[in-house]
Amino acid sequence: MPMRLPTLSDPAAGHRSSGAAWATAGAVSILAGLAVLGRLDMATACLAAAATTGLGVWAAWRTRTPAPSQTAGDDPSAAPAQGATQTAFEDALENLPDPLLIASAGEPDDLAGKRLVFANAAARALLRIPRDGALLLSAIRRPEVLEAVDEALFGGVSGTVSFETGGAQDRFWRIWTTPLSGRADSSLCLILMRDETDARRNERMRADFLANASHELRTPLASLTGFIETLRGHARDDEGARERFLGIMAVQADRMARLVDDLMSLSRIELNEHIPPDGRCDLSVTVTDVLDALGPIATTKQVRLRPDLPAPGKAEIVADRDQVIQVVQNLVDNALKYSPPGADLKVIVRSSLKKDAASASDLASPRLTSPDGGRQSLLSPDRTDGELYCMVRVVDQGPGMAKRHLLRLAERFYRVEGQKSGERSGTGLGLAIVKHIVNRHRGGLWVESAPGAGAQFTAYFPQAKPVPQAQPDLGRLEPDIVTKPS
Amino acid sequence: MSEHTLKFFGDELTQLKAEVTRMGGLVEAQVEDAVECVARRDVDLAQTIVGRDLKIDEMQREIERKAIRMIALRQPVAQDLRRTVAAMKMAWNLERTGDQAKSIAKRSLILATSEPLTPLTRAVERMGKLVASRLKESLDAYTIADLERGFAVWNADEEVDEHYDSLFRELLTYMMGDPRTISSCAHLLFIGKNLERIGDHATNIAEILQYEVTGEEIAGDRPRWSSHMAAESPADPTAGDDQ
Ligand SMILES: Nc1ncnc2c1ncn2[C@@H]1O[C@H](COP(=O)(O)OP(=O)(O)O)[C@@H](O)[C@H]1O
Ligand SMILES: [Mg+2]
Repeated sequence: MPMRLPTLSDPAAGHRSSGAAWATAGAVSILAGLAVLGRLDMATACLAAAATTGLGVWAAWRTRTPAPSQTAGDDPSAAPAQGATQTAFEDALENLPDPLLIASAGEPDDLAGKRLVFANAAARALLRIPRDGALLLSAIRRPEVLEAVDEALFGGVSGTVSFETGGAQDRFWRIWTTPLSGRADSSLCLILMRDETDARRNERMRADFLANASHELRTPLASLTGFIETLRGHARDDEGARERFLGIMAVQADRMARLVDDLMSLSRIELNEHIPPDGRCDLSVTVTDVLDALGPIATTKQVRLRPDLPAPGKAEIVADRDQVIQVVQNLVDNALKYSPPGADLKVIVRSSLKKDAASASDLASPRLTSPDGGRQSLLSPDRTDGELYCMVRVVDQGPGMAKRHLLRLAERFYRVEGQKSGERSGTGLGLAIVKHIVNRHRGGLWVESAPGAGAQFTAYFPQAKPVPQAQPDLGRLEPDIVTKPS
Repeated sequence: MSEHTLKFFGDELTQLKAEVTRMGGLVEAQVEDAVECVARRDVDLAQTIVGRDLKIDEMQREIERKAIRMIALRQPVAQDLRRTVAAMKMAWNLERTGDQAKSIAKRSLILATSEPLTPLTRAVERMGKLVASRLKESLDAYTIADLERGFAVWNADEEVDEHYDSLFRELLTYMMGDPRTISSCAHLLFIGKNLERIGDHATNIAEILQYEVTGEEIAGDRPRWSSHMAAESPADPTAGDDQ
């Protein structure tokens, strides 16, 4: 590394050497901490190593001389080299991805005396403070952190603290505090912050999921157990009651079976979520198949199915056909469930759309113009450069829902409260399954709805590239084998 | 007053305001932790919160004592006076906020003894997060005397009410569906009410900031409860609550 690290034998840095020793110790301890926790990737670790090794010297120098331009007067002979090193350190710290602060203090009781002598770019953006001079308290109020900083400043002790911020973004932070011994009359403390929200969130989701799943299973189970007891007891000889109870029990058992099915397909889908599908499937044909299967239910419910599909072969996607069937089925199922008798249920397929077109709304639609209505993207593909998509859209004339529900629809077990869907017949997993499948296909999913104006769900999948024509040579030689393998 | 005294008073004020900020940090943590202990059924955390409340009361008395002493001895005028008074008002408000957080923690202890009601707890958690973020915003604004940010908090009062409204409905549905949950739901409802109060305190902080900087009150009516809610919700459940 081209930086000149100060040592005891280095005359230029001699008068700051004890600071350097301390800083190195501090840096080593921080890095050890980070390494043990496995939090830093190599690049960051190197950057942090370079940065923290010279930190004490640099910070001491910083508190000593208010502006870099004044270093020249401080120690003329060493000025150029020292200046370059400092600039490099400063740049390194400035560009660390994690928020980093250096606090200084005089007396322990002097709250207004604790100030930040440095805040890097990430810290400034997060805490909305200037680069130097801010009151420590104006940047950090969390009591545990203040305590840890005090311990570093006045007790010379390093520490780590974790806490969750109450901001709307709801972040989980881990904070390292380490003393940097600067000068005799003022102590310094390094504060390094790291965002650990993602890890925490996953943990929380898992716990929630287990709790929800067992709760959902327990309700039908409790009802089954109850009826079994009744049938063994006073309803034993009552023919009519027995029939009725068995009917209810069959419904509950069905419900449990559906739930277990959904849970299993969700876990299967999750296992494969990072393996892109390699099959092809024709969206028009798939939709037709699903509608054929659901036709009888639609007839009973007096709902008119209105497909609007391009000809077979026009909307081919890269997909796992069984999973696409599941997507269409779940969406049409929901639409059917909420459609009143006599309503139209449209299923539209379109092909060769850019991402913008696949996620474009008709702004004049009552779903968007009604006061409580709106649209919400539930999933959007990461990379889309030039990719073409085929979409399937299900539009119903049911009760719809208010905008505030839309974001949470694909959450597991989320149901819009106050809807009459014939006592919670669904599992609340349908849209979660849809979202995971579409995600595996690198597609997108969005919804548009308003109370009283129906709901519209749109899923889009990457379109398959046209297959090169079968090789003419082969066709001419062995026509039978190519076209009709027997 | 001599130059020296003036400067000295300024230092004292900075110190006082720093103390208020530190108290704010503690109260903020109390609120965040209170929401957390409801969400996670964390009994230890709840007990810590109850214990820490003593410290808040002590800080409030200390700030009040200092402020009164400063006013009596130095007889500040204009903005210096307003700043000193504002610090005192802040301390009162924060102390009451802390009480609400303590009350939530106590209720979470009771909730922890019965079956978890996960979806409802999440609704409370969402409302709690919102309220905590309002408190944070208003304290941020106070700390750096940023009127604009204070006003943004003051102006977005309604959102908390909407959350309370939706929580209230969700709780009703639940209670009617399964009477065994009534007692837990009632506690969750009270927690919702505590949170709503905390939201009000955040608004108060924005008003104190306005007073401190301009000496005026924010003009116009604060967005308040929608009328249908006033008719439908139960009599204030936290009235006479242990504080
Ligand atoms: N077409 C629709 N119209 C109105 N509400 C819908 C519609 N589709 C889904 N929802 C709402 O979204 C919730 C979640 O849907 P889903 O995940 O499929 O679960 P389920 O259908 O099993 O309840 C439903 O409970 C319902 O409240
Ligand atoms: Mg469904």
